[in-house]
Amino acid sequence: MKLKRSLKQKKINMRLSIEKVSKNFTAQHGKVLALDEISIQIKEGEFICFVGPSGCGKTTLLNMVAGLETPTKGVVRQSGEEIKIPSSDRVVIFQEAALFPWLNVIQNVEFGLVRRMNVRKRREISRTFLNLVHLGRFENAYVHQLSGGMKSRVAIARALALNPSILLMDEPFAALDAQTRDILHEEIEEIWFQTKQTIVFVTHNVREAVRLGDRVFVFTARPGRIKKEFQIDLPRPRDTNSESVVLYAKLIQQELREEIEKFLKEEVDRDWSLKKANLLRPAGIDLGSGI
Amino acid sequence: MIWEAVFRLKIWPPYLFPSPEDVAKALIWGFKDRTFLIGMSVSIQRITIGYLISLVLGIGLGFLVGRFKILDETIGSLISGLQVLPSICWLPLAILWFGLNEQAIQFVIIMGAFLSIAIATESGIRNIPPIYLRAARTMGIKGIDLYTRVVFPAALPSIATGMKLGWSFAWRSLMAGELLFVSIGLGHLLQTGRELNDMPQVIAVMVVIVLIGLIFDQLLFSQLEKRLRSRWGMTT
Repeated sequence: MKLKRSLKQKKINMRLSIEKVSKNFTAQHGKVLALDEISIQIKEGEFICFVGPSGCGKTTLLNMVAGLETPTKGVVRQSGEEIKIPSSDRVVIFQEAALFPWLNVIQNVEFGLVRRMNVRKRREISRTFLNLVHLGRFENAYVHQLSGGMKSRVAIARALALNPSILLMDEPFAALDAQTRDILHEEIEEIWFQTKQTIVFVTHNVREAVRLGDRVFVFTARPGRIKKEFQIDLPRPRDTNSESVVLYAKLIQQELREEIEKFLKEEVDRDWSLKKANLLRPAGIDLGSGI
Repeated sequence: MIWEAVFRLKIWPPYLFPSPEDVAKALIWGFKDRTFLIGMSVSIQRITIGYLISLVLGIGLGFLVGRFKILDETIGSLISGLQVLPSICWLPLAILWFGLNEQAIQFVIIMGAFLSIAIATESGIRNIPPIYLRAARTMGIKGIDLYTRVVFPAALPSIATGMKLGWSFAWRSLMAGELLFVSIGLGHLLQTGRELNDMPQVIAVMVVIVLIGLIFDQLLFSQLEKRLRSRWGMTT
């Protein structure tokens, strides 16, 4: 009796719970099972990463947390309440940044605030967050004038301006170069320290997941299941190239490799397999001759 | 120059092929005795009314067809089919419906313009990157706000293209309509020129028609389209 009660209590305190969620898609050849009974409990303020081969449904799961898609079976709950529709309390940041080109930077940042408060107040809030991502100078610039990294920053500011309790990031830095990505990792971590938001971060970059996540979930190839969960017990801030991060990444990569192999076998010929390439040629002999 | 040279060769008699000088004179005369000005103002007034109605109808219909799949499947092909029909072909029908009056000519203008505006609006809406809608929805935008603040602005460059196309169709339809029945527009001036065998006037009126077309097309619609496209970050 007592145990049951404490369990119930625990469930309510969970900010986000994904309970036996499955998702079917109707494709040309009939139904395709994209996600198969996924259950994940996420505590408030946790930084969670999903990694998996492409097409494993990690983005679909993120969209269901956002309320942009509905599960075929199972439920996603936020503080015990079922998520059915999108809400500004759970904002998604997309890979393409998805800024609106007909608005300038500051208008993009205040987009979600427009009907909620007057111009002065929302400008003030938007400026605060634009400064937080170090783009205060560019508030009047238009979207097509920004670089990829700047667009990501504006998208982050736009999401933060809504003060969501959950931030959902769908490969937000995948299109950026490594240097810009490193800097944005630092900044998103810094922001996370300050705001204490729950972050769910989807990526196919294993090191990125280890660099940022408290926990990393590895997905199987379709149908998507949780293959393994890794608790990343490393002090922050972490360095993407540090030995411990690379070590964790190697462990996760091993898990992932099998799945990628499965995925590729469906895409390429069946007899194809991942193997170490034979590159053991005596380096001294034809060094540079191939150039 | 070539015109003047051909004129001097005297291949055709002057009443069939007037000199540039005669045409210029006719132009000046036309403006001096105000017949051109009256014709222009009548025509421009007509096209303004017809075009504005076409805009409202075209954008409205385009939105509905772009939004509801059932409408697209039912009347979508009808719209693109009717669009092929030169709008002056509506004139006999319009005369039977409305009689030989202002409404008939407005009808012809509208039939010429609004379908192409509708088609452009619809394709603009259909080609909105879905990510814009998802981004807006995740920020809690829904209902009419989603349309006014995301769908409409996202489709605007395409709508502007439709507006430009629609205007040139409307202008052509108006001229054809005015030629075919008595009124006091520019098309009618062409017709009276023919009846009086006044070739300089005919060409002078044609020059005016081309100029008005160019002014609207180049200065207004092309500029609008170009600005929208560059601001939306599209390469033209």
